[in-house]
Amino acid sequence: MNDLSRRRILQGALLGAGALTLNACRNPFSASSGSAGGSSSGPVVFGVSAPMTGDSAEYGAIWKKAFDLALAEANQAGGIGGRKIQVDVQDSQAAPRQAVTIAQKFASDDRIVAELGDFASPASMAASSIYERAKLTQFGITDSHPDFTKGGEYVWSNAQSQNDAAKSQADLAHKHGKRHAVVYLDTDWGATVWKIYEKSAKANGDTITYSSGFIASSTDFRPTLIKARQSNPDMLVIIGYYKDAALLTQQARSVGFEKLPIVIANSAYSPQFLALGGTATEGVRLSTTFFADEPRPEVREFVKKWRGRYKETPDMFAAGAYDAINILIWAAKKHGATREGIHQGLLKGKDIPSVSYGPLTFGPDRRVAGARFLEVVVKGGKYVLADGAE
Amino acid sequence: MLSILVSGVINGGAYALLAVGISLIFGVSNLINLAQGSVFAVGALTGWWLIAEMHWPLWAAVIGVVLFTGLLGLVINVLAVQPLAGAPPIAALLATFGVSIILENAAQLVFSPETRRFPQLLSSDDFEVAGVRFGTLHVVILTITAVVIAALAAFLRHHRLGQAIRATAQDRQAAAQMGIPVRAVDNAAFVLASALGGLAGVFVGMYVSNINPTIGAMAVFEAFTAATLGGLGNMPGAIVGGLLLGIAEAFGIAQWGDGARQLITFTVLIAVLWLRPSGLLGKARTLAAEPMTGTFFGSGTPYRLHRRQAAALIVFAVAVAPFLFSDYVLEVGAQILVFAILALSLTLLAGNAGQMSLGQAGPLALGSYASALLTTRIGLGFWTALLVSGVVAAVVSVVLVAPSWRLRGHYVAIATLGTGMMVAAFMLNADWLTGGPQGISGIPQPRILGFRFETPATFYLLNLVVLLLVIGVVRRLQNSPLGTVWSAIREDEVAVRSAGVNAASYKSLAFAIGGFIAGIAGSLQAHQYGYIDPSVFNMQISLLAVTIVVLGGISSPLGVVLGSIVLVGVPELFRDLQDYRMLFYGLVLVLLVRFRPQGLLGRAADTSGGAVRGVLRTAPRRDTA
Repeated sequence: MNDLSRRRILQGALLGAGALTLNACRNPFSASSGSAGGSSSGPVVFGVSAPMTGDSAEYGAIWKKAFDLALAEANQAGGIGGRKIQVDVQDSQAAPRQAVTIAQKFASDDRIVAELGDFASPASMAASSIYERAKLTQFGITDSHPDFTKGGEYVWSNAQSQNDAAKSQADLAHKHGKRHAVVYLDTDWGATVWKIYEKSAKANGDTITYSSGFIASSTDFRPTLIKARQSNPDMLVIIGYYKDAALLTQQARSVGFEKLPIVIANSAYSPQFLALGGTATEGVRLSTTFFADEPRPEVREFVKKWRGRYKETPDMFAAGAYDAINILIWAAKKHGATREGIHQGLLKGKDIPSVSYGPLTFGPDRRVAGARFLEVVVKGGKYVLADGAE
Repeated sequence: MLSILVSGVINGGAYALLAVGISLIFGVSNLINLAQGSVFAVGALTGWWLIAEMHWPLWAAVIGVVLFTGLLGLVINVLAVQPLAGAPPIAALLATFGVSIILENAAQLVFSPETRRFPQLLSSDDFEVAGVRFGTLHVVILTITAVVIAALAAFLRHHRLGQAIRATAQDRQAAAQMGIPVRAVDNAAFVLASALGGLAGVFVGMYVSNINPTIGAMAVFEAFTAATLGGLGNMPGAIVGGLLLGIAEAFGIAQWGDGARQLITFTVLIAVLWLRPSGLLGKARTLAAEPMTGTFFGSGTPYRLHRRQAAALIVFAVAVAPFLFSDYVLEVGAQILVFAILALSLTLLAGNAGQMSLGQAGPLALGSYASALLTTRIGLGFWTALLVSGVVAAVVSVVLVAPSWRLRGHYVAIATLGTGMMVAAFMLNADWLTGGPQGISGIPQPRILGFRFETPATFYLLNLVVLLLVIGVVRRLQNSPLGTVWSAIREDEVAVRSAGVNAASYKSLAFAIGGFIAGIAGSLQAHQYGYIDPSVFNMQISLLAVTIVVLGGISSPLGVVLGSIVLVGVPELFRDLQDYRMLFYGLVLVLLVRFRPQGLLGRAADTSGGAVRGVLRTAPRRDTA
């Protein structure tokens, strides 16, 4: 490499550097750098940090569908004060390292008035301090980790804390037997649910006959399930998402769980569970906050719109994401499409409309309290409300 | 007992089918093909599409998939692997890694990322042994594996092309001199192996029943372990290895739970390499004496800055950049610097001692966890923890890798890959120490004299200072007599050993220093995120470090910084490409390896052998002193 091209590289580098965002008039070493955020003209933009590639990409794809549906409706109805609403979706692969970068990108971007995500609690929680510092609302859709909203005043979620969801799963299992064999996804989420489940089950006087974590990328669960069966349980309890639960259910039926009840986590509520699991899913039970055939008008309308647009039945993730963005839009309409406006909207809002909860109000822990759980069972290849449930 | 054995055999049959392709390519082209898992995933998805959407019968779909993936193999070899024939094996390995990223993400775009059910054309529950139901499908998988291997054996023994493949595998140069078109033989091996990968995709796809574009990612390592267990390059060995791994996993999982799966897989891999590197059925052959990195990289003239240019760059980076750039750019900058430090851990080892490590995620994880535990459990200060975590990473990784030094070439690299993955698998399983899957949170931010590091600018500066210190140490070592000994080992290990130098100890020393540097990078990372869990330290991280150091010019510390800017920064630049982001990243990776295998700034230079002569003159004295 000769001197000329060396100089050219240096020049290019400097030019490129100059072209990047110039942030004068600020102290980059001080932590108090909250931006006002949200210009008053142009579109209103929500940032989304979500896995669009990698192992969890399919959940990110569901979110994207939910946002597209919600935005189409909201923009049809005139947006926010005549301004169009948009989402800026950034791919995090649900990895903390990338979620942190995205958080910094959104925090530095004045167009962004609030953020949605990330999918996995570890990624979301790694980013929380950045959102908090920027006074930018971080709205978790699936972040059920009990500590997530403790990350700061600007950290909110419409997901059930696992303190409630795992307990309701344990209560449901309690109704069907006293000896539980439990397998849980070996991630932060799964391990957290499992700990709360174990505590709740013991409080109910039930016995855990077997427990083991499992890895999402595993394809053969037979050895684990054989061991679980040998512990002589009344039922199998699966703490995992739909694709894990479907595989586990199929294999469980081939190693001696043919007749025993199987109870799955509410996160596995999805038509995909039925499609992937086939006939093995017959008789599987779960408790869920969202049930597509629930007669409530909000649910009926949402399911109808989703089926009309995507020719499929929406699941937990779809309903959660659709609610989340609509809650932010509602807050922006009430208190202004700025970072602070949305924060105020969530803080002061009462009876915010939603599909999963009906009219909701956030508690002091920035979560929604008092969700009703419905017991659902698979019958004839479909989810139906269990007998005796409302 | 019997039921677990049966389930292990069923699963092992699937591993065996996958392992055959990997073993074949390794035997013929002496290449670790990381793309085999993605070809397998593409085969599964194509099979699903032909059967579920196009309603082809099974036999037609199998033929269609085999033709398609065979063609895919040809394309991979011609475009990505063969042009690197003159380059060291590590370049080809990185190229196949790039191809696997491209295939996986292309498959996500074409087929959408969702998991789907593979049509169950063969019954999977019509037999029962010891309470375990299995079916025609599982019998068919085992039969197909056996038939394929018998057919392959007959082909290799009797057909002219098969004989050419064997000749090439035995001695590439001799084969070429006898008029065998070795490039065409490589093509044939790739086509065969990829067709087998596709075949495995259809049947294993049916076996696991739920498939998506990322199913190949882990499968490739399990298949690779199975192939190593049976003996790399040995076809019947692939069956034996697959079945044994399946059985070992089944019993291990029954004992410790499914979370231990990866720990079992990689422990088996390491144990084989320690005890019987040629595998159960492989003949103990003289292992290729070619170091992974080759002399080609090491002797590339490193690009050097003048003192004044370096000073100007440092002043710019320290005093101007934090004020010039947004927090977002500085955050990316801080990450670029951490990865530059991680990649520098390879500079002495790979660039000078000529030994590549594919498992630097291991010491990175050790450093992260050590630092996190020391500060949160014992209340040690950040700065002490930083140094201690470097030491911990160095000691543990040396102990784990030391028995592998008697191996050569690819086998050491495979051993480092295994140890790297084993460390993360251990972190996942050692709940009592590491919090298992929940990781460790609340790791305190660094402080100095009451000043808290919490903004991107402060982390950026902290990392920059550490990076400059590390560069200083690495350059000093490179120019020391020690550096000369390492270079001599790289250029001609046999000669150096004949001169009475204990090459393994010197390599261990390089590995220890590398482990220390990687451990420091891990500590920095842990304190910046405040949270770590085992999923952070995956294979991608290890390969990213390798790619950075290769593209940076393997022995040039400055090049490493540039490589890190390109490889950590580029995915950020591609953010606007949305779903196409990782696809383009894979393309850039393949193109960079293809056109700049000697590094972005490096320049290939001829080997003078100067370092070896230097050691031959001085080494005996040094060793006895």
